[in-house]
Amino acid sequence: MGLQTLSSWTGQIGTVVLGATRSEGGSRSISYSIGGERDLPFLGSPPSGHRPLVAYEICDDLSIWPPVIREFLKDRIREPGAWAREAGDQWKPDLIRLFLTSTRKRDFRDFAAIRRTVEEVLQQSPLPLIIEGSTDQAIDSEVFAACGEAGEGERLLLGTAEAGRYRSIAAAALAYGHAVIAQSPIDINLAKQLNILLRETGVPENRIVIDPYTGALGYGFEYSYSVMERIRTSALKGDADLAMPIISGASDTLTVREVREADPGISQRVAVTWEFYTALSSALAGASIVCVRHPQTIPLLLDAIDALWGGAQELQGVRGSHLPHVRHETCQWQRRRGPLPLSG
Amino acid sequence: MKLASGKGDVDRCPYLDDQARDILGSSTRPPIRLVKVGVGERSFPIGEEMVQFRHEKTFYHPPGMMVAVSDLWTRDRIQEVVARVRDTVVVRVGTDQRLSGVAIRHLSGDPAAFRTAVEAVEEVADLPEVLMAEDPAVMEQGLAVCGHFRPLIYAATEKTDETMCNLARDYGCPLVVKADDPGRLPDLVERCKGRGVQNLVLDPAAPSLHQFQNISTAIRQQAITRSTPSLGYPVFLDAAATGMQEAAIVTGILRFASVLVLENPDQASLLAFLTLRQNIYTDPQKPIQMTPGIYRLGTPGPDSPVLLTVNFSLTFFTLQGYLEAARIPCFMVIVDTEGLSVLTAVASGKLNETLVAESLKKFSLEKEVSHRSLIIPGYAAPLSGRIEEASGWKVLVGPRDAAEIGEYLEKEWKQ
Ligand code: B12
Ligand code: SF4
Repeated sequence: MGLQTLSSWTGQIGTVVLGATRSEGGSRSISYSIGGERDLPFLGSPPSGHRPLVAYEICDDLSIWPPVIREFLKDRIREPGAWAREAGDQWKPDLIRLFLTSTRKRDFRDFAAIRRTVEEVLQQSPLPLIIEGSTDQAIDSEVFAACGEAGEGERLLLGTAEAGRYRSIAAAALAYGHAVIAQSPIDINLAKQLNILLRETGVPENRIVIDPYTGALGYGFEYSYSVMERIRTSALKGDADLAMPIISGASDTLTVREVREADPGISQRVAVTWEFYTALSSALAGASIVCVRHPQTIPLLLDAIDALWGGAQELQGVRGSHLPHVRHETCQWQRRRGPLPLSG
Repeated sequence: MKLASGKGDVDRCPYLDDQARDILGSSTRPPIRLVKVGVGERSFPIGEEMVQFRHEKTFYHPPGMMVAVSDLWTRDRIQEVVARVRDTVVVRVGTDQRLSGVAIRHLSGDPAAFRTAVEAVEEVADLPEVLMAEDPAVMEQGLAVCGHFRPLIYAATEKTDETMCNLARDYGCPLVVKADDPGRLPDLVERCKGRGVQNLVLDPAAPSLHQFQNISTAIRQQAITRSTPSLGYPVFLDAAATGMQEAAIVTGILRFASVLVLENPDQASLLAFLTLRQNIYTDPQKPIQMTPGIYRLGTPGPDSPVLLTVNFSLTFFTLQGYLEAARIPCFMVIVDTEGLSVLTAVASGKLNETLVAESLKKFSLEKEVSHRSLIIPGYAAPLSGRIEEASGWKVLVGPRDAAEIGEYLEKEWKQ
């Protein structure tokens, strides 16, 4: 095609490897490289770097999970292991993100239970795993040690390190060979600082994933969108302290007013649409992993990402039935250019 | 002088030769031309964008969301869609978000049917339109009905540019130009300009979403750096034609589309894209704000609690959400921090005792309640003493996280 973009970047996003297959010392059916881009998201044919991944979020205590999801899953919700396996089979996410929400109970001490949960998820689901451990400094070190050890060799992605509390998680990542999510509140300088702190603790840059904090669509998403764009462009301009891949999970998306108060008849559809818009926008802003909670968002998002990617480069490993489907979609567009027979 | 202030147009100067006109024009004109679609209240401007990333300045003119109808449809069906476009309003963060207009597709092969369809649209509303017919003879039928209301003409191609340009010029309408190879767009643009049509919109005719975002980015970059001035026009995207409308809408809004054509969106999709468009086109230096004042949750009485907060919309809606969940009727007092969040407003000094004291007076809060207790955000705790002094109200420091407000009120609010 006869129009070229004018980007002339000097930097490159670093890569992070997630998941380890049997030959790599783990038990995952696939491992992913994320990052590696030399340009803005999806630019170039084929685009540089690796295609963004879609993570499906599950948890071990549903009491704080969005009501719209509990309603959708109903009796399909089981123990985290079965949940991960069934969701993986049916909806084909690239990876699973397990929130250990049970740790948020007051005076939580049952670290053996967490360990069992992690082991069970790893046994039942062959996908690479992201684990969100505690959010409380007082139990961080036990929680992350339990998760880290249970997943030793699997190259997990552990979250979430913050400026005030990153040592326990860094220690677990270093001891058991995992990567770390570094979260800062919508601020490029704070993101940079935290990356530097983590590196000083000994976490190498190829094991850090930036979480710039994603606000829900309509509730501050524009700040998150721009901070992701700024992190990406700073990295491409050569700032090595920001040249890590980005993860985006708009956890508040399914509890915003539009979803909560939607007409019962369309609430599921509103939830899926709201998540889809936020996640796809984040991928376009530069996120390498986008996370969702409604299973029906997953295939929509995979198709959209494939269409943006251009189908030019196969994802490392397999992505189930999605690729053929996408080729079909893009061809269809070619055929349907010009007058469009409006359906119905 | 007019040129320097951006008000005059070099093309209208009778004294300049072509070279001088080019030089003057390129340095004074915005890099992307401003094009107006439609007339009257609902008309909208597109273009005149300056940057590739919104954080570099801001995006100015949100894309027009044009809902498609077909000239194969019955009059009733067309008019139902048009009425929906006319009437749909989503009130978000204090502003009305609306669909922008109607795109009329010629699919029937019958020029008279196109004319009838345009008439059907016109009967219902004065909305901006896109006339979508590749055959100039058909286009003429549509323009005969609505040509003086500045519809967007879709489209001049390399085969039809002469006749389409004549129509655009005669009716004073903006014109979409479309080349199968986007590399030929600059040539086509120059040809149209040569035929006297200035108000152009570019359809990159991309064969995939991937191509669209590449080409659209290339157009934006080449336009704002003025490296290819002939690409300095707004971009068009037929989102419905991609077969993945939702993904195309997201991509279009984020990647510089100024006119999007879509098929009748369901309520969920409509809410989401109007919100995304609003988010992305918010000035990063000027956050969306609430009007300061007293807001009621439920039907509060003279004994109900009063909570102070800032006018950053995000803060307001977060707090309001938790207060609603708590089901305790109360008053929210919103003070003007110029759209800053609590912490940001405290840090910058915008939230201070004078502002609070003056606001309480101005909103006559003492007429609403019998008590004199004000709950302030946990993050504003450092101001509590000073607020008490300046306002004479007793200050209670609330939790930092709004999620804890229900629990807090149940325990602490015993008037
Ligand atoms: C986005 C952001 C900005 C945006 C502005 C966004 C806005 N419209 O306000 C920009 C980039 C412009 C900005 C600028 C600045 N910022 Co700033 N910013 C943030 C950031 C990342 C998020 C703020 C936010 O939107 N929070 C979400 C809203 C909803 O939170 P909120 O208003 O506090 O409301 C919550 C609670 O307070 C509570 N609540 C609200 N009302 C009420 C009422 C009652 C009664 C109760 C009980 C509870 C309650 O409920 C809400 C949800 O829990 C924070 C970091 C962080 N995560 O806090 C820094 C932060 C607030 N900024 C900070 C600073 C210092 C600044 C600047 C002064 C300098 C700078 N860093 O650039 C400027 C000041 C602006 C100016 N014009 O002078 C500091 C404040 C330090 C401090 N502790 O005082 C922070 C904490 C970052 C940091 N750690 O350094 N900022
Ligand atoms: S010479 Fe042309 S540009 Fe200068 S003042 Fe006269 S009309 Fe305007």
